[in-house]
Amino acid sequence: MPSWAEFQPYIVTGLALGGLYALSGVGLVVLYRATGVLNLAFGAVGAMGAFIAYSIIQAGGPGWVGWITCILFCGVVTLGYGMLFGPALAGRGPLVQSIATLGLALVLFGAIDLAWPTSGGQSPSISFPTDNGGFSIGQLQVSWTQVIALGLGVVITVGTGAFLRYSKLGTAMRAMANDREITATLGVPVRRVEAAAWLGCGLLSGIAGIMLADLSALDDTTLVFTVVISSLAAALIGRLRSISVTFVAALVIGLVHDLLTPITQISNYQDMTPFVLATIALLVMPRGQVMARAREEG
Amino acid sequence: MNRSVHWRTRTAAAAVAALSLGVLAACSSSSSSSAAGGTGSSASSAPSSASSGSAGTVSTSSCGSKPGVKATGTPINIGAINTKQPGTDFSDIENMTGAYFACVNANGGINGHPIKFFPVTEQTNPSQIASLAKQLVTSDHVVGMMGTSSIIECSVNAAYWKSVGIYVLAAGIAPECYSTPNTASVNMGPRYSSDGAVQYVMAQGANKIAFDQANVPGTAYIAAGPNALAKAKGVPIEDFTENVPITSANAIATKLVTAAGPGGAVVLNFTPPEALLILQAAQKLNLEDRVKYWACSTPCNTDFLATSLGPKWNNKLFVNSELLPLDGNTSQTAQLFDAILKQYGTNVSGGVGSFSEMGFTMGEIATHALESVKGPYTIASVSAALKAVTNFNTGMLCQGFTYGNYPTHLPNNMDYTVTPNNGKMVIAPTGGGCTLISADDPQVAAYRAVAGTAPAVSS
Repeated sequence: MPSWAEFQPYIVTGLALGGLYALSGVGLVVLYRATGVLNLAFGAVGAMGAFIAYSIIQAGGPGWVGWITCILFCGVVTLGYGMLFGPALAGRGPLVQSIATLGLALVLFGAIDLAWPTSGGQSPSISFPTDNGGFSIGQLQVSWTQVIALGLGVVITVGTGAFLRYSKLGTAMRAMANDREITATLGVPVRRVEAAAWLGCGLLSGIAGIMLADLSALDDTTLVFTVVISSLAAALIGRLRSISVTFVAALVIGLVHDLLTPITQISNYQDMTPFVLATIALLVMPRGQVMARAREEG
Repeated sequence: MNRSVHWRTRTAAAAVAALSLGVLAACSSSSSSSAAGGTGSSASSAPSSASSGSAGTVSTSSCGSKPGVKATGTPINIGAINTKQPGTDFSDIENMTGAYFACVNANGGINGHPIKFFPVTEQTNPSQIASLAKQLVTSDHVVGMMGTSSIIECSVNAAYWKSVGIYVLAAGIAPECYSTPNTASVNMGPRYSSDGAVQYVMAQGANKIAFDQANVPGTAYIAAGPNALAKAKGVPIEDFTENVPITSANAIATKLVTAAGPGGAVVLNFTPPEALLILQAAQKLNLEDRVKYWACSTPCNTDFLATSLGPKWNNKLFVNSELLPLDGNTSQTAQLFDAILKQYGTNVSGGVGSFSEMGFTMGEIATHALESVKGPYTIASVSAALKAVTNFNTGMLCQGFTYGNYPTHLPNNMDYTVTPNNGKMVIAPTGGGCTLISADDPQVAAYRAVAGTAPAVSS
């Protein structure tokens, strides 16, 4: 068993990844609460945005243009999907609505493979200027990118909570989460609120995509599937309702995943972390407690 | 909507979410496996984007016995099987072999006979691969297999080739490409290339090795080589495997550096995307100087990797190179390679690199063997000619190539070591020239016991 000192570096890497899982998980929860759709294309949209950013940077464009393009692209694509297919699928069950987003994910996945083929041995990657800066805590080296990743998770979670509680649009989203039909009869512009939720979810997928491309890998399989599993597990632990529980769950998933790395006997099974934690949480955590927490959040 | 409807909706949503996790996981693991197969298997043969610096005084007319005369005789049918699937595309290898054959055909052919090339691709499906082999022999009537490079072809078809008497010339990946009598490879494959990397860092004074590779079938076989070398030298070695695609490169880089220690070396056996992730993670965390050396098997030998990593890795990262580094090389072979690639290699998508080098080398050896056939071109005559190839100087390998009639084949067992140098991969200034892979690896020893040790040749 590794010593405590040997575990310490993985706390940093785990928290950074956890922060991005949290950001993604919050995006999933907010959209689900507003529209009832579990967006399985979250990772694919972010992946495509990141690849577009990569191409812009490769073509000599400034990094910030690539990053902003990525975020805007993701927002527009997700909003477009929501506006185009959302109303048509609104009357269908959650299964149909979610599988439809999986369709979008697979279309984008195929498009990425076509546009950015993996032959030739070249591997795309994205780096931030903050990668090479940072500070040390004892023997621990912390990069600014890792700090930003965790910080974004915190800021997005807190900001989203405040937005849902105090803003007019947020109140409308909460109302729709409680009862969509009554909310509509009360004169809330449902389509507009849904559009805002789709756009917000898309922008978050762009932020997550570009950050994960740096911290994890600019790889379509990783971004489309592997990473989104952790975010989805965190959202599921939050019962797709509570953003604070989702946030904590995401951090724990990131932490446990990375803390298993030095334990060589089980490190090859660390990818099971989101499944195991989600299963345990769903079995152990009282549903009522999570829902009560969600109600407190608004 | 009443409470029970709400509850049902939410329960359904939770079920969908759980189901989605499963679906995504399945997709992910399937993709991973696919990527993992590619990773493990391609570990010997990633392309290098190196650009040859040849001056171009050698023209394609030199690749045949009758310059400018198109071969019109009865064609000699030759086949090849390459893996081509998302994430793993070796088809540049057979495409370059085909380009070489096209050059030969345009310049007199093989004793007046053109080579009719049947390159096919597969998607790591054993039944498909077995079927392709039978199709090539029974429908296309190939008399030889030259230019093959596939993740599992050697494993799947070894018995079939033996049964029909065909001897295969390949760029090998699976263990059977080296351990069976009917296949010989121009490259060394992941095990022996990893041997070369480990051997180099030990020779430079590394006192511990952290050896890491993709978690795919066959890793134990590959790791056995480096472990034998390290054990023979009394250097501790720790083996790791990683699930691919890698999702937490920072954690892996940290783990490897911790395991190797300040006097040790981290040795990677991954394809470029995964290796680059780990190396970049080390760079981001300022870990590159926390160990004495970093090393890689052949896949890291790409200018792309050298460019991506930057100058911090000059003389810090050492990569085993199974074929002649082409950067700045002006040898006759390098010039002919360039000329053929330009004139006939339009479908070689990766351009100059290890893949095309392997394809070129197989084209050279195949042509040399076919030219020696007297009488009709049959499976028996072509196989006999191939087996008779002895100490043939390809200009691409450190040693002369010998096929021979051996139970195992490791004709390429002497390699270069390269290091990044301002965006290029160049021969390492210290001990980077042609070096025999140590016979401390029992498989290498077994081969040399029957085939001897081919001397180095000048490129």
